[in-house]
Amino acid sequence: MRVGLIASLTGHSVVLLWGLVALPGPNSFSVPQVESLPVDLVPIEELTRLRLGERDAEVRDVAALQPSEQPEPTQEEPDETPGEAQNTQATPPAPTPAPEPAPTPEPAPVQDQEAAPEPAPAPDPVPVPEPEPAPEPAAEAPPAPEPEPIVANVVPRTKPTPPARTSRQQDENFQPNQIAALLNKVEPAGGATSQSNTPASLGSRRGEANVRMTQSELDALRGQISQCWNPPVGAVGAEDLNVRVRINLDQSGQVSGSPEVMNSSGNPAFRAAASSAVRAVMRCAPYSLPVAKYDAWQEVIINFDPREMLGG
Amino acid sequence: MNELVQTTLAAPEGDISFIGLFWQAHLVVKIVMLGLIAASVWCWAIVIDKALLYARTKRQMNRFENVFWSGQSLEDLYGTLQNRSNHGLAALFVAAMREWKRSHEGARPALGSLQQRIDRVMDLTIQREAERLESRLLVLASVGSAAPFIGLFGTVWGIMTSFQAIAASESTNLAVVAPGIAEALFATALGLLAAIPAVIAYNKFSSDVGKSVGRMEGFADEFSAILSRQIDERT
Repeated sequence: MRVGLIASLTGHSVVLLWGLVALPGPNSFSVPQVESLPVDLVPIEELTRLRLGERDAEVRDVAALQPSEQPEPTQEEPDETPGEAQNTQATPPAPTPAPEPAPTPEPAPVQDQEAAPEPAPAPDPVPVPEPEPAPEPAAEAPPAPEPEPIVANVVPRTKPTPPARTSRQQDENFQPNQIAALLNKVEPAGGATSQSNTPASLGSRRGEANVRMTQSELDALRGQISQCWNPPVGAVGAEDLNVRVRINLDQSGQVSGSPEVMNSSGNPAFRAAASSAVRAVMRCAPYSLPVAKYDAWQEVIINFDPREMLGG
Repeated sequence: MNELVQTTLAAPEGDISFIGLFWQAHLVVKIVMLGLIAASVWCWAIVIDKALLYARTKRQMNRFENVFWSGQSLEDLYGTLQNRSNHGLAALFVAAMREWKRSHEGARPALGSLQQRIDRVMDLTIQREAERLESRLLVLASVGSAAPFIGLFGTVWGIMTSFQAIAASESTNLAVVAPGIAEALFATALGLLAAIPAVIAYNKFSSDVGKSVGRMEGFADEFSAILSRQIDERT
C-alpha cells in the first residue's frame, strides 16, 4: 500500500507541476473591431410622391400636374364621394380638401333627415305621420275565461303542420332580368393626390414633387456647421439666443449670396450671436451634400440653438 | 457610461492559471477542490496497489499450478510451502493439506467426514483470499460515483457566489461573473478527473477479482476430487 500511495502522490504532483508549467493559459479573445454601418431610414415617401408630369408642359423645377380645379360643389351631385376628384391618380391618398357640399340655396325641409340634397323643386309637404290605427277592439284579446268543464276541452292533438318553405317566396321575388340593377355601379374610387395649384410642368430632374433630405444628411450638415460655430457663451441669456439663418447654396456647396438672419431679439447680445452664426456658415463652406438632392438644399434654414451646443 | 467603465475596471483581473483559479475560489470551493485532489491521490494509490497485487497473485497462481501439475509429490510440496505465508492457490493447498494431515495424526485416522471438512476449509480460504483481493475496491466505487457530485457541489457553490457578485456589483458585465464561473467549473473538472479513473479501475479490478476467485474455486474442486479419491482408497 505504501508503494501505491507514494507512487500516486508523486504522480499527482508531477502532473500538477506539468500542468502549471506546460498547459498554456487561455488566450484572450480578440474581438475584431467591426466598423459600424450607418443605416439610413429612407422614407418611402420619396417613391410614393413621384409624379408624372404633363407631356406638353414646359420644364420647371417642380413636377406638377395640370392645376386641378377644386370640384365645384354643385347641387346636382352632392353625393360624390370625397375620393372621386377630377385629377386622380392611383397613388396613395393625400389629404384632399374634401369637397364641401354647398349649402342648398333653397331652404330644405328641416324635417327631411335623409340629407339628400337632390334638387328639391318644392318643399314637399311634410308627410304627416299617419295616426296609428286605433287598436281594434280586442280582436286578439283573450276571451274571458269561461267556466267550462275541463274534460270537454280535451281534444286529440293534431299534428302541427310544418312551416311552409320560404324558398318559394324567394324564387318568386328573384327576377334574373334585374340583376344588373342590383349590382353596385359605383365607380371604384382610388385615392386622390393632393390638389396642386402650381402650373403644370414636364417634370423635374428626379420626377419628384419635392425631395427631402434624410436625417443623416441633415445631421451631416448640422455637424459641419457646428464645428465652425463659436456661440456667444458669456452673454447674459446666451441660452435663449436662437438665430435662424437662411442661406442659399449652389450646386458645389458654396454659399451663394449672403446669409440672411431671419429673426430678431431684444437681447443686446443678439447681434453678436447672429454675426457668429453667419460667420460659422461662411467659414464652413463648401458643404458636402448630395448633389442629387440639390432641390432640397438649395435653400436651407438653419436654426442656431445655443442650448444644444452648451448643453451637449 | 462611466459606471460601466468603473465596473469593468473594478472586476478582478482574473488570473486564469490553475493556481490562480484555486486561490481566488471561495473557501467552500477550496475545501471541495482539496478533498477531490486527496480522493484522486488515494484512488490512484489503491489502483497502483491493486494492480501490483493482482499481477503478483496471478504470477503466483501460475507458478503454483506449474509445480502442482508437474508430478511432484504433494507431501513434498506441502513440506516446502508449509512455513511460508501463502496466498492464492498455495493457501488453498496448504489449508486442505493441513486438514488432511491433522486427520491422520491420531491413532485412528478420522476419515469419515474428512471430505466435508476439507471442502469447508477450502471454502473458507477462498473467502479470505477474495476478501484480501477485494479490500479497498469499494473506495474506488465510492469515489467514482460521488466525486462528480462533490465537484458539482463546488460548482454550484461557486456559481452561486458569482451571482451574488453580480447582485452586489449591480452589473451584468461578464467580467464580473467569468472568474467565479471558471473557478466553479474547475471544481467539476477535478471531480471528473478523480471519478473517471476510479470508475474504470473499479470495473477492471472487480472483473479481475471475479476471475481469480473462479480460478481458485476450480482448483478447490479439482483438489477436493483428488483428496476424495485418496480417502475412498484408504477406507
